[in-house]
Amino acid sequence: MKALIKAEIYKLVRQSKTYYALASLFMIEAIILFSAYFQGKNILDILLDNLKKSFYFEGSLLNGNLLVYLILNTLWFHLPLILMIIVSGTLTTEYKDRTIQTTMLQPVVKWKFILSKYLVAIGFTLLVVLFLALTSFALSYGLFGKGDLIVYINTLNFFEAKDAFLRLLYAFLWGALSMVFFSVASLTIAVIFKEATKTWIVAALFLVISNLLLKVDFGNAVFNQLFFAKLNDTWQSFFYYRIDWATVYLNSILLLAYIGLFMGLGIWLFHKKDIG
Amino acid sequence: MKRIVTLLLVSFFSALQAQNIDPDLLRVKQRLDSIQQFSADLKLDVDINFIHMPTKYAKMNYSQGKPVKFSSTDFVMIPKRGLDFSMNRLFEYAFITVPRGEETRKGVRYKAVNIIPTDKRADFSIALVLLDIPNNRVAETEINTKKDGTYNLILNYEKKTSLLPNLVEVGFEIEKLKIPLNFMGKDTDIDRKKMRAEGMKTGKIFLAISNYLIKHL
Repeated sequence: MKALIKAEIYKLVRQSKTYYALASLFMIEAIILFSAYFQGKNILDILLDNLKKSFYFEGSLLNGNLLVYLILNTLWFHLPLILMIIVSGTLTTEYKDRTIQTTMLQPVVKWKFILSKYLVAIGFTLLVVLFLALTSFALSYGLFGKGDLIVYINTLNFFEAKDAFLRLLYAFLWGALSMVFFSVASLTIAVIFKEATKTWIVAALFLVISNLLLKVDFGNAVFNQLFFAKLNDTWQSFFYYRIDWATVYLNSILLLAYIGLFMGLGIWLFHKKDIG
Repeated sequence: MKRIVTLLLVSFFSALQAQNIDPDLLRVKQRLDSIQQFSADLKLDVDINFIHMPTKYAKMNYSQGKPVKFSSTDFVMIPKRGLDFSMNRLFEYAFITVPRGEETRKGVRYKAVNIIPTDKRADFSIALVLLDIPNNRVAETEINTKKDGTYNLILNYEKKTSLLPNLVEVGFEIEKLKIPLNFMGKDTDIDRKKMRAEGMKTGKIFLAISNYLIKHL
């Protein structure tokens, strides 16, 4: 198993598209940061418009913490898209180049082979989110400094700089779990479709539908709570003034269960199917 | 001869003006006017149902005839009318007063006086001031501004001799905005008129003022 994981890591590190993906993510992050700075002014203007009549403001809210929050709002759509392409590519490329057949001629257990791919995909996803968290904080704090964070979720919530940093950190942590879900789902889709283009289209469709369903109210509280698409917005829970930890824990357990379910389905299908 | 007539006319109108201003209010005003400048530390707590904000700290500096200055290491919201302890803006332009009898707050009786500006430049239309006559200071004000709604100030003092308050409760009217949860992307284009559908809300700010450094004239 260790050897398989090492081999998967080696393949991921050696392939040039991994670095293209990292570079494109960094580029997206820089563009979001740039647009967030200008959008931030507009957002602050909207949020504080009615308060300007009654209050003087001392200090600036257009700071690194607001920009990281705005980056998070956009990142959770673009990031899974690129992750899904890379992660599913680790299997579809093997089908395309027929290297999978060569590997299967070796004394390799099929479920262990695909499990190692899942584990490396999870590790890679976590590393990418860590990379983005570090660069987001470094760029935002470096260019715009620290300060209070203002967020509108039903009420106008102000968080002091230290508190804001902690909440953003939690949001990155939970976002990482959400990204792992999409990576795992894309690998399962690759197991089903095998061919790269079909896999990417279905994976992108899966992401788009998940995002669309996120805002749909199904009229059933239990379904709204349990459906996987509804869980991906949990990172926003950290920006309510009082964090509902019970919901965060429940959603985390549910998403972990979905990750396990998708992984299990992928391993079962891969083990059952012929390599052809 | 002309000079004498002018002098008489000026004296007459001055006397007329003086008759229209409550003498107790004038005494309080004179006492407040004796403050040349002061600095103090502020602790602010916001009580507005659609705003959550932790306790904030700031420093304020006042110099007679100049706007109050604030400084803070983090973001603070300072109520526009809540920190006019010197009542400068009430007395800025010509005004008349109308006695309104007495009002009782927490068992204490105060003299009530309406201040009505006679100069169009004043930013309020009418104000009610409750005067603490034995201690020669302001206990409460209700200011109806021309543009920013009504402000209510309740001033509490540390000692009987204190001229400036150590606890102030500022009540005001504020519009509630309805903003989409996700205000990135397309949702940023907001119809502000629709958002104001919920109308006016009332809010309060509690100010605790300490470490006064007062310089008298």
